[in-house]
Amino acid sequence: MNKVITINLDGIAYQLEEGGYDALRAYLETATARLQGNPDRDEILSDIERAIAEKFRALLGSHKTVVVAKQVAAVLAEMGSIEADSGEAADPCASGTGAPSSASGHGTAGEERAAWRGGTPRRLYRIHEGAMIAGVCNGIAAYVNVDPTLVRLAFVLLTMLWGTGLVFYLVMAIMLPEARSPEEKSAASGAPSTAQEFIRRAKEGYYEAMKGFPDRKARREWKRRFKREMRANADQWRHNWHSYCAEHAPFHPGMGFALPLLSLLHGAATVLWICALISLLATGTVFGLALPANVPAWVAALLLFIVYCILAAPLKATRRACYRGFGKPRWAWSFVFILDAAVWLAVVAALLWLAVHYFPELREGVQGIPSLAHQAADDIRVWWKGK
Amino acid sequence: MMSVNEKFSAIRKGLLEFLLLQIIATEKVYVADILKQLSGTEFATQEGTLYPLLSKMRREGLLDYEWKESEAGPPRKYYELTVKGREQLRETLEYWGKINGTVKKLGQK
Repeated sequence: MNKVITINLDGIAYQLEEGGYDALRAYLETATARLQGNPDRDEILSDIERAIAEKFRALLGSHKTVVVAKQVAAVLAEMGSIEADSGEAADPCASGTGAPSSASGHGTAGEERAAWRGGTPRRLYRIHEGAMIAGVCNGIAAYVNVDPTLVRLAFVLLTMLWGTGLVFYLVMAIMLPEARSPEEKSAASGAPSTAQEFIRRAKEGYYEAMKGFPDRKARREWKRRFKREMRANADQWRHNWHSYCAEHAPFHPGMGFALPLLSLLHGAATVLWICALISLLATGTVFGLALPANVPAWVAALLLFIVYCILAAPLKATRRACYRGFGKPRWAWSFVFILDAAVWLAVVAALLWLAVHYFPELREGVQGIPSLAHQAADDIRVWWKGK
Repeated sequence: MMSVNEKFSAIRKGLLEFLLLQIIATEKVYVADILKQLSGTEFATQEGTLYPLLSKMRREGLLDYEWKESEAGPPRKYYELTVKGREQLRETLEYWGKINGTVKKLGQK
């Protein structure tokens, strides 16, 4: 008796014997390592996964569901080992353009990004899943990789300008094709498979399999196993995503200068927020700006927090992206991270110290925080009961 | 002692791209077709070599692909040549003719 592991290749679930699974994983890991630095790495890997899936499909008849280890080994042998760049060795003249690993040293970040963009074709589609109207905003969001809500908001704002957004939307709704096949859907976001896609597929597989278990105990067992495997898949996916992010944020020397500046801004924003909060709690005003009479202090505090989050989010995101730029050796990343965190903390501490030192109201506010917290809690309780 | 097979592996490697251009020039093909056409020749290849090479050629603008539904299973990538690819094939054929001529001519002396 052999353990069987369910995997997902090209959107279809296959069951492999454990030995076969290990072999397949080792093969794909080697392939990933060999294609390191290839701008089309993700695409080639998905091509290879697709080819393996096709071979598995051919092996499995209607009555057969498990691919045994020997068959996996045979399929992998048929695939052959991944050769990093076949053109490079034979033609030295072409190696400048052909071998991305050698080019990346000289090419600018922009060129590299362009090459990457070219690698996974990104196309503008309408995406129906999770769409509000025709999926135009959804498609644009996937294309430029932002939250669809932001795109929708932009359209609404544009509509306020003499209806420009509405006209634009209608034109796009008519012109853009809809993403139907899984390939089109992944082309819409440019990524081989997105988180949503992963979760959707996982769920689909889950409920399909659940139907086949009339026995309660077997079903529970399957559920447990499925959850465990999905967790492992999710970890793997997260790992891939992280390495993908680290890979494609090209290093730019400017980041070295930008990072402390960003940290400074981020720190200043935090301090501003804390000061505003203290001022609000201590005096009921935000930097001298009185609240409307019927707004309780805690609502204002919450609003302040939201405003802070909105202001700080892009700063935070950019800082993260900068770290990834240092991603090549792992230790450099952590070093930069620690250094930057230290800078950030120092900025926050220094500014706070200055603020408390030079503004007596703030000092009083800080001293009054415990009693204010009690009062705020009471306020909330009263408000809650009143409701 | 190296066999002929080993000796010319570098040449075969270099010519593979040329052959791919020629295969793809005749019709839209997908990878299994290409492998079938190459199998049994001196240029028999595996997916592991072909996919990276095809993707490199696509990056260089020699070919492009489109997704096509297949009778069984998910859609497949069908490759075709771009204008640049055809131009390259023409040039390579010309050059290949020259090399061939040179080999023959030098052999006759």
